[in-house]
Amino acid sequence: MRTYEVLFILSPQIPEEESTTLIHDFKRVAEGTGAKLTNEEAWGRRRLAYPIQKFTEGNYHLFVFDTDASLSELDRRMRNSDRILRHMIVRTDLDHKRAEKLAKRNPKKERVRPAPAFPTTAPEPAAAPESIPEPPVSE
Amino acid sequence: MALQTRRPGEGGSRGPGGPGGAQQGGKKKFFYRRKRVCKFCVEKIEYIDFKDVKTLQQFIPERGKILPRRISGTCALHQRKLQNAIKRARIAALLPFATD
Repeated sequence: MRTYEVLFILSPQIPEEESTTLIHDFKRVAEGTGAKLTNEEAWGRRRLAYPIQKFTEGNYHLFVFDTDASLSELDRRMRNSDRILRHMIVRTDLDHKRAEKLAKRNPKKERVRPAPAFPTTAPEPAAAPESIPEPPVSE
Repeated sequence: MALQTRRPGEGGSRGPGGPGGAQQGGKKKFFYRRKRVCKFCVEKIEYIDFKDVKTLQQFIPERGKILPRRISGTCALHQRKLQNAIKRARIAALLPFATD
């Protein structure tokens, strides 16, 4: 079983109902190939870090799927849709597994705070400045 | 001719009572810089998520480049993961490729 994160940016121009149906369609496509949706996040409108197709804003949406099959059909559909500015499918289960292993090896422990330093005694008043001897001038 | 007691080499460079003596040949060490530690090792973050813009942004200076390891102090393992995460975030337009 593999885990994939699918992040895509919908065009900000399309009306809300259309975007919900689009999102629903994409979900159906993935589930048709045997994927199981485990998490879904709608980030809503966000500013893009740089313009894509002359848009400065985009409607972000995230799916997390568990699947044994490939998501190539979803990938193909997203690529062909002109309503999607950008999409990205990232496999995350291996990275998560590795992270878990690392976390087990060096478990998170409460950091022991050093005892608060007791108030330092006020520094002694500086010694009186030495009188600078005048340079002897010899003829 | 007036003899001057101050020789040109001996300016006011060494203050009185300073720890000068021991560091006579101390031209090699200019100043002590604190050893930086890897943020991800300290906070035990093993998975660096490309969607976590707030964390990634700490490693993106003004110009939008990835902060090098020698500046940020990130360990090799986490720098590699951070690099991948930043690159993914750039594709998703969460972070800029370059700013000016």
